[in-house]
Parts: sequence; C-alpha cells; structure tokens
Amino acid sequence: MLVQFYNVSKIYPNGVKALDDISLKIQRGEFLFLMGPSGAGKSTLVKMLFREELPTRGQIFLASRSIVRMKRGEVPRLRRNIGIVFQDFKLLENKTVYENIAFAMEVVGASSRDIKERVTEVIKMVGLKGKEKSFPGELSGGEQQRVGIARALANRPLLLIADEPTGNLDINTSQEIMELLFNINRTGTTVIMATHARELVKSAGKRVLMLEEGKIVADNPPGELVL
Amino acid sequence: MRPGSIIYFLREAFKSLSRNRLLSFATISTVAISILILGFAVLLTINASALMNYLESDVEIVAFLEKDLTKSQISDIKQDLTAITGVKSVNFVSREKALDKLQESYGGKEYNLKETLGKNPLPNSYEIKADDPHNVSKIAAQVKKIDGIYKVNYGQGVVERLFKVTRWVRIVSMVFIVLLVFAAVFLIATTIRLAIFARRKEIYLMKLIGSTDWFVRWPFFIEGVFLGATGGLIAILVLAAGYGSLINHMDALFFLPLVTNAKILSNVYISLLICGAVLGVLGTWISLNRFLDV
Ligand SMILES: Nc1ncnc2c1ncn2[C@@H]1O[C@H](COP(=O)(O)OP(=O)(O)O)[C@@H](O)[C@H]1O
Ligand SMILES: [Mg+2]
Repeated sequence: MLVQFYNVSKIYPNGVKALDDISLKIQRGEFLFLMGPSGAGKSTLVKMLFREELPTRGQIFLASRSIVRMKRGEVPRLRRNIGIVFQDFKLLENKTVYENIAFAMEVVGASSRDIKERVTEVIKMVGLKGKEKSFPGELSGGEQQRVGIARALANRPLLLIADEPTGNLDINTSQEIMELLFNINRTGTTVIMATHARELVKSAGKRVLMLEEGKIVADNPPGELVL
Repeated sequence: MRPGSIIYFLREAFKSLSRNRLLSFATISTVAISILILGFAVLLTINASALMNYLESDVEIVAFLEKDLTKSQISDIKQDLTAITGVKSVNFVSREKALDKLQESYGGKEYNLKETLGKNPLPNSYEIKADDPHNVSKIAAQVKKIDGIYKVNYGQGVVERLFKVTRWVRIVSMVFIVLLVFAAVFLIATTIRLAIFARRKEIYLMKLIGSTDWFVRWPFFIEGVFLGATGGLIAILVLAAGYGSLINHMDALFFLPLVTNAKILSNVYISLLICGAVLGVLGTWISLNRFLDV
C-alpha cells in the first residue's frame, strides 16, 4: 500500500471544513482520479500528501511512514519521493526548459553528471526534444505543462500528484497531457490526478474517487463507467 | 555539503546579484552609507577619547610648601605624599625652578621676570600625578592634611567638569553607534526582503521539490555577505582616503592630536568590513526565515 488515509479531517483556521472524515487507500502503481466540483477539497487532500497542510484529525501514511508525526527535518525526504504538477505550471520564466527541469535536481543536491543524463532522458520522455533552450514564454500551454511534468519526474518519484494539470488547457491539449500521464503510470509511477473535468475521466477506465463538500461520495473501481 | 552544491550556491548568488542589479546596487549603497557613518562615528569616538585621555593625564596636583622648611622636613613630606594610595609620582619643583618655568612661559627675551620682581616670590612645591586621574580630588584632600603644605591646587572644579564632559561624550557616541547599527540592519533586512520577495515563487518551488532549509538559505547568505562586505569595503576606502587626507592637512591647521596609529586604524577598518558582512548575514537571516515556512 502506498497511501493510506485514516479518518482525516481538515478544518482551516478560518473555520472552513475542507475535508470530513476521509479514509482511503491507494496501491502502488495505481492511477487515481480525484473528481469533484470546485471547493470539494481535492487540493486540500493532495496537499496533505506532501505536507503543505497538516490534517486537523486523522492519520496519513506514505509507504507506511506517518506524514503527520514526521519531524520538520524529515519533510525534504518525503517530498523528494513525490513529483508535483501544478495547474499554472509554476515554471521559472528566466530559466530555459532545460534549466527548469535541472532546477528540480540541483535543489536536492544531485551531481551535475546525473542531472545532465536524467534531464535529457525526461525531456525525451515528455516529447520536448529540440526545445531545451526555449524559455517558457516561447512555449504553448501544452508544452509548458510538459516541462512541468518533466520537472516532476526528474527525481524519479514514487508518486506523481497532478492538481488540475489540464485546468488551463483546451480539450485537445488536455487529451495529450492525459495520454502522457497514462504513459508515465504505465512505467510504474503511481499517479493521483485531481480534476473537475468529467469528460477527461469518463472514458479513461481508471479508478475515480468522487469528492463533495469534503466527503467521499463515490469510489469507482477501474473499468467502471463514470456517470 | 557537496562541492557541486557549493558551485551551485555561488552561481545562484551571483546570478541573482546580476539579475537584480538595481536592487543590489541599492543594497550596497545602503550598507556603504551606514558603515561610512558608523566608521565616522567610531573614528570620532576614538579621537575624542584619545583627546580626553590626553587631557586627563595632564591633570596633576600641585602642593605648595610653607616657607622656611628644613631639607629633612621637605623630604619627609615627599615620603608622606608617596604613601598616599593612588599616587603615581611625586616630583619636587624648587622655587628657583618654578620661576624659571614662569619666565619660560610668560617672559621672553625682552621681558626679564627675575629682574622685574627683584626677589623670587614663589614657594617650593610638589607636583603629584595620580594613577587614575579620576581620584585627583580624593588625593588632594589627603594632601591638604599633611603638615608643611599650605595650599593645594589641582584645577578644582575644572577637573570635575572635564570628567563630566568626557563621560557624556562617550555615552552619546555609544548611543549614536548603537542606533546606527540598528538602522543599518533594518535597512539591509528590508532590501534583502525585497530580493527574496522577488524570488518567493522559486523558494516555494524548492521547498515543495524537497530542498532542505539550508539549501535554500545558502545562496541568499552568500548574496547578503557579498552585498554587506562590498558595501563595507567601499565605505572603508572612502573613510581611509578621507581620514588620510585629514591627517595630512590637520597637522598644519590645528593643535589637536589625531590618532594615526596604523594598528588601531587597520583594526577599525577590518572591524568595519566584518561588520558589513555580519550586517548582510543578519539582514538575510531576519528576512529569510518567514519564507521557509512551507
Ligand atoms: N488555505 C486555506 N484557508 C482557508 N480555507 C481554504 C484554504 N484552502 C482551501 N480552503 C477552502 O477549503 C475548501 C476546499 O478547497 P480546495 O481543497 O481548494 O478544493 P478544490 O481543490 O476541490 O477546489 C474550500 O471551501 C476553500 O475555500
Ligand atoms: Mg483545487
């Protein structure tokens, strides 16, 4: 089991109850859609996995290690096992494609030889060969998100978290990004993708967790049609 | 820490410096001006205190002896004087020598004091120096009690006033320096906060990717130390040039003795440089911690 949530609730300091008694298990190698309308608590749920937010109640485990009880000094190691893909890409505008991806490895202290090798590899993986020297401003939205995905993959994470990765993209580009994420999942990386776009989820044939007002309202196993 | 990381820290620090050229320039200027004022105050204090020491050490007690004392009485008095605690030296000045001194300072070749006065009106005296000039009035009181001494002179009142002035000069310049240090740290913290603010997105990303706090901090500290030390260096060059030319011109202009001891001055300059670097670290530290809480 890669991820375990036990009776997790989150109440923000302003009193908003974003998650209400969530229990959930995710297997290694799984692809999980986190579905639900805006404000349902999807972002809150995934932020707990890399400890940007702590639960108010409950326990969370990643690879059998408690994220809640973890000391501050252990958080960097937790995060190195997780790749994060953002809706707004969060690329550094003054760095090239290559530098943006290398950045993720530099800041965890990787050697320059490993960086060169791995960055070249992930650039090929996401289909951006030839764009290494471009700046984010010179790329389309879909290409920028590919850079974001490559950066998330650079440190070979156990778990890839994508929070509305297609939220800023048109439907065709979204489909391409979905294909890329499915391919990454096929190579063994566990993927959690939060989205409110039903049309991307419907035909995918993956496990879908439906969230509404902080509660799990449905957990469709893979292969079932989502209505 | 890996050698590759050190290169990364240096590269990031200097990239940021050249990327935010205007901000870097503003920070260096701020530090330079702060250190310049600080250095000016330090040099002023050192000189004021040297001058005060000079004035203080000049303070002495003059004990005038009664007429018609025998030689042995005079030497007994010397022993009594030497026995007083806090007395550093006792120096006999005969009435003849006293007149010579007077002639030297007031007379001159065309005006012969000895001839005008006819006979020497001056008494024999002892000049007494204290270990610590602050004890002069206490010692003077005891000197007065000794038989054979009819008058004690130590610039009564003037001495007390001098000490009051020197104490206030010292207190005021210390307060001034402390205020300046606070102002400098505050200004640097503000400028570096702007630099960090411009990169908050990057810091947030680094933290989410799994950077340790120290990995995030290092480039900023290098940047802060560089800014602080560069500002300090500029201030020292300006200060040294200014003070050097002051020493050269002051000689001819005033009687005031300026501190020219190379060791003292180089210590001051090195301390100011270190001060600049420390201000950079301090300013960075204050500004950075807030952004690491991700
Ligand atoms: N940092 C925060 N402080 C207070 N309330 C928050 C914060 N983040 C999210 N919320 C609230 O929590 C609820 C769930 O938000 P979120 O997890 O972002 O949902 P989703 O990602 O599904 O749109 C919303 O009502 C939102 O306003
Ligand atoms: Mg969200």
